Amino acid sequence: MIKVFKIVIQVAVLYFFAIIGNLLSLLLHLPISGSIIGMFIVFALLYFKILPISKIEMGASFLLAEMLLFFVPSAVGILQYKEAIFNYGTQFLLVICLSTITVMIVTGIVAERFSRQKERYR
Amino acid sequence: MLVSFLCIIMTIVSYIIAKFIYKKSKLFILSPLIVAPVLLSSCIILLGVDYTDYDKGGRWLTNMLQPAVVGFAVPLYKYRAVLKKHMRVILVSMTSGAIVALASSGIYAHLVHLKNDYLLSLLPRSVTTPIAMVISADIGGVPTMTAIFVIVTGICGLILGPIIIRFFHIREKLAKGLLLGMGAHGAGTSKALEFGTEEGAAASLAMVVAALLTLIFAPIITPFILL
Repeated sequence: MIKVFKIVIQVAVLYFFAIIGNLLSLLLHLPISGSIIGMFIVFALLYFKILPISKIEMGASFLLAEMLLFFVPSAVGILQYKEAIFNYGTQFLLVICLSTITVMIVTGIVAERFSRQKERYR
Repeated sequence: MLVSFLCIIMTIVSYIIAKFIYKKSKLFILSPLIVAPVLLSSCIILLGVDYTDYDKGGRWLTNMLQPAVVGFAVPLYKYRAVLKKHMRVILVSMTSGAIVALASSGIYAHLVHLKNDYLLSLLPRSVTTPIAMVISADIGGVPTMTAIFVIVTGICGLILGPIIIRFFHIREKLAKGLLLGMGAHGAGTSKALEFGTEEGAAASLAMVVAALLTLIFAPIITPFILL
């Protein structure tokens, strides 16, 4: 029970930083979403040891572990796009598969080459 | 108000059931992200609930993605040593990955003659859903469709990632992790963790870095793709 309480508080802390991020994004007309700004703020606070990681780690781990839950309502939103999926499903699948293959090959080969090069120079 | 509350409860219950099914079956095709929406959509249709009414409740859960994104600061902080050590490799491979992800989605979408709003919704598909949805809204796509494309990307990456690693003889643990995290966000990261902790750390890092780079490059590349 204490664990649940801790998680709720820590999630609230993270939400607080998301709100601050949203406000900053709005006030300064930044093209970056508020939650990303919030993430950078929290990272900086952790890095400069202003905020101890123990104060948010449980909440963050909980949110990241159960992240799929928060996508479920959006996935239900597919109901609104039945027609599009029905008409263009094959095209969507083709684009996604081919693009995923391309991205993985490029990233993998570049990373592999670069890390080997580094070893050779050492 | 009552309907919204019941919708939230229904969503959580179907998620718990879906998670249980996934744990028992271990089949990637029975991912909670496929099973839960199917269960829930059937309930909504059977009970005759209007989607807009459902969304009033569902929005509360979607909103929780915001603190979840802030929560990424924790893995980023934990792996900062890895990030520092391999800064150059990570930056170069992730930048090429992020640009290729945006450009290839756009080019392939053109080749199969998709409309612009579908094309734009496809562009950010390789990053984690909350950020992909934000980017989609920024560049003029449909965030809900993007969420669906992200999920399909995750499933594709889970199947294709290990095949690509074998076929192209990727041996470095860092490269394996980066490829999985860049290509298939959270789903890829879970696969990378099956390879090992180092691969897993590299993939979580890749997921965060990919999201940030895509956030930066998407508005720059979009006009060229629409040409």
